[in-house]
Amino acid sequence: VKPWRIASALVLVLAGGWVLYTFPPVTTPYYPRCVFKQVTGYDCPGCGTTRALHALLHGRVADAFHLNAMLFPLMACALAAVPSVVRGRQPRFLSRPWFGWGSFVVIVAWWIGRNVI
Amino acid sequence: LNCPYCSTSNLDTASICVNCGRPLAAGAAPPPPTQSYTPPPPASPPSYTPPVPPRPPVSHSAPIGQGGPAAGAQVPNYLVQSILVTLCCCLPFGVVAIIFAAQVNSKLAAGDYAGAVDSSQKAKMWCWIAFGIGLAVTLIWMAFGGVAFMQGIREAMANR
Repeated sequence: VKPWRIASALVLVLAGGWVLYTFPPVTTPYYPRCVFKQVTGYDCPGCGTTRALHALLHGRVADAFHLNAMLFPLMACALAAVPSVVRGRQPRFLSRPWFGWGSFVVIVAWWIGRNVI
Repeated sequence: LNCPYCSTSNLDTASICVNCGRPLAAGAAPPPPTQSYTPPPPASPPSYTPPVPPRPPVSHSAPIGQGGPAAGAQVPNYLVQSILVTLCCCLPFGVVAIIFAAQVNSKLAAGDYAGAVDSSQKAKMWCWIAFGIGLAVTLIWMAFGGVAFMQGIREAMANR
């Protein structure tokens, strides 16, 4: 990966982090809202991610977990992918059959489970 | 040399199709009648440079898919895009994309190369469908003030 790509990715992450840190999603009307939730009233698997990231940036880990627990395994996967991506390669685990089917099961179970429990 | 799968014209020296990435090896599939086939020259001229160098087949729009020809990395599975589009667009179409994405590597592991390419293309298609519909629905919803509308309905239902 070329250095300017890493640099622009870092700039994007920092800018996004600043926006998320500074503006609380609950009171700021300019964040995109989940249409699925507004129409059906049920949470989608991604619902709460924005609020969870805001909470996480303010150090409220437990709040973040309650807003969207999926964020944590997702971030673990992203972190595990960083070394390969920086070296310009696709992470090995992404092309394992168990990972594809595992993420399908986890996401669908999370989608149903979070609305039932 | 025409690709037996998509009939794209390739260099005679290529081992992989520049268009679909599938192997051009003889016996992979019966090639169609080669009316434009010219046998390779016995020795390439020293100054000859191929216009399209043979390269790893992963050259679609996968952002981090530039893996080498290592096993398992030949067909982009669009798993990352599928997961992100499911979480960000919150629609069941993303789950369809995840299913096809997961099929890619299962089929590769079973040696079903053509099936894996097929699943890969379907995963890509459903990613775009989920993304397009999610984006369109969100924009329309915001444009028509859907939030206030639904809130009005909820309050009306609650105050029945």
